[in-house]
Amino acid sequence: MSSIQINNVTKRFGDFTAVEDLSLDIKEGEFVALLGPSGCGKTTTMNMIAGIEDISEGSILFDGQDLSSTRIQDRNIGFVFQNYAIFTHLSVYKNLSYGLEVKKIDKSDIDTRVRAMADRMSITHRLEQPASSLSVNEMQKLAIGRSAIVEPRIFLLDEPLSNLDAGFRAYMRAELKVLQHEFGQTMIYVTHDQIEAMSLADKIAIIDQGKLMQYGSPLDIYNSPDNRFVANFIGSPRMNLIDGKLREEKSQLKLMVHGGAEIPLKGQVKSNFTSDGSVQSGSFGIRPQDIYFGDKRSSNDIEMKGIVDVLERVGPKRIAHLQVSETNFIAFDDQDQLKLGEKVSFFLPSEKSMAFDEVSGRRSGVI
Amino acid sequence: MTDITKQPENSTKKQGYWAGVARDGKKMGFWFILPTFLLLLFIVIFPLFMQLYLSVTWWTPLEGIPWYRAWEVFSWGDNYVFQFTDERVWGALWRTIIIMVIAVPAQFFLGMSLAYLFMDNFPGRKIFYSLMLTPMMIVPAVVGLMFYLLFQGTGPVNAHLGLPVTFSWLTDVNRAMISVIIADVWQWTPLMFLILLAGMLGVPSDQLMAAKLLGGSNWQNFLKIILPRMKAVIAIALVLRAVECFKIFDLVYIMTKGGPGVQTETISVFLYKMTFGEFEWSYVAALGLTILFVLSIIAAKGLAYIAKKDG
Repeated sequence: MSSIQINNVTKRFGDFTAVEDLSLDIKEGEFVALLGPSGCGKTTTMNMIAGIEDISEGSILFDGQDLSSTRIQDRNIGFVFQNYAIFTHLSVYKNLSYGLEVKKIDKSDIDTRVRAMADRMSITHRLEQPASSLSVNEMQKLAIGRSAIVEPRIFLLDEPLSNLDAGFRAYMRAELKVLQHEFGQTMIYVTHDQIEAMSLADKIAIIDQGKLMQYGSPLDIYNSPDNRFVANFIGSPRMNLIDGKLREEKSQLKLMVHGGAEIPLKGQVKSNFTSDGSVQSGSFGIRPQDIYFGDKRSSNDIEMKGIVDVLERVGPKRIAHLQVSETNFIAFDDQDQLKLGEKVSFFLPSEKSMAFDEVSGRRSGVI
Repeated sequence: MTDITKQPENSTKKQGYWAGVARDGKKMGFWFILPTFLLLLFIVIFPLFMQLYLSVTWWTPLEGIPWYRAWEVFSWGDNYVFQFTDERVWGALWRTIIIMVIAVPAQFFLGMSLAYLFMDNFPGRKIFYSLMLTPMMIVPAVVGLMFYLLFQGTGPVNAHLGLPVTFSWLTDVNRAMISVIIADVWQWTPLMFLILLAGMLGVPSDQLMAAKLLGGSNWQNFLKIILPRMKAVIAIALVLRAVECFKIFDLVYIMTKGGPGVQTETISVFLYKMTFGEFEWSYVAALGLTILFVLSIIAAKGLAYIAKKDG
């Protein structure tokens, strides 16, 4: 078990910068997810931690110790590959025992540990069979078991669930959480799936184009995104992000949306927009579930009028697309109260609305 | 609607390959290959039977009897019996096997080491790769001539050794064998390298990385991951080179002519000399068939092994 400090790490492939000035502090026993769209540099970061890729600049410390000159073999890092990298020419038993055999551990000791691990991963009935005969789900278990058996100092998982069918993925997600608790391991988990990251991780690092966008607990990231990218990336359905120009009319500050709609700014969100002083244009963000219909609940809430354009059913609720001029707001219709084509009033609670600077994308008004 | 991919049921009545050919309209393909097939029949099958026929006679082209009347000097199986007591045959066989069991493993280990080296992306890899393959592209007779010149008494090898004594490389039995083996290894290591590299690159790199991360040293991973995954390729490379090496002729003939005396004769050189030196055609026919028979069995065994490993 180790803590990991990633200090200002940069990775370049020729002219291309895959990871730029990335710093992360991962505590012992923490489960951290690296989350980002494809090609954002999260797998490269993982490979650098494992030692598969060299670091162009910066350093990665394990318990304060730099391992960059240590051979991969001696780093003792557990790594589960996206496609599992099972040794298909060997039996399941030999796959599990590989990491122990190469360390020349006593045969009977190996046998006990292999059987215990096979039992833990419930693949005992498969032990003597060739690994190539396993199903994808079993391969997944074998890959985790094979890495876990050598008791690595940290555990790295590269999109481990992306090849699984939906049912098993949900099961494995729960299982991984249990395993992490059992092993008490520091785990780093690469994924592009926000649900996996949200449900598994103690902390999430959101990466875009090689840069760290935000690092914090899932709830933190969800409730107070640092910037427009994170706000847009986290949450399903996505946050409403409305771009426009700020204009003062009759002592009322308004966001003039490019499509023609106007959002009168009030209360908290107004002070957020104006906190930086010279903001000319920005994005107004509000999560779909925060928009409500019916009676106004607080004097600072912003009232909008729009036409119900589309209604999508998701389980008991419906997702409503509300057209204001040419701008689309997405909201939840909880009680099937909306009708298609109807003109409705809806409210944007000002204390739950967010303000983003258009140029930098940074959220304004939060320290 | 009828499903056109479904065969009518009565079509399953006729079974077997030829029925399939007739049914699927492959007849045209058959007519296309017929001329080649006939040519092959003439240049392979016919000589084979002719050889079989001559091998049971005493026929030689020197006595003026046309080959088809060779039955007049019918010898039963005497040629076959005689070849097993002919010391020159046993000597040639022994030397061929010595060359084979030294040259082929040497080529294998060099080829394997080079292939492992070329797994890395070192600077100049492409240039070295092309250079590595050149010996293989050279006509064997030219290689023979090159090494003949190199190993001359007054040639570069002796000059570079710089010893007070001058070795006669090609006229001393042991040294001549060494020279031939060196020439063969030089020429055919690249082929071994090429085949083994292809096999090695086929080993999934993520599995190798996984083995490394599990703590396996490079040597352990080579033995436990790379080698077992290359079994079929290794078998193919070894069978191919062993069979080729058994037929070694050009190098030996050009470098030593089988000499001094008959002391570096290999099977092929011996056959050549018997054919065009001593015109013992019926004897050569019998010996040739025996070698074909033995080699076929060895190759079949080797291929069966490969098929088993792959299946």
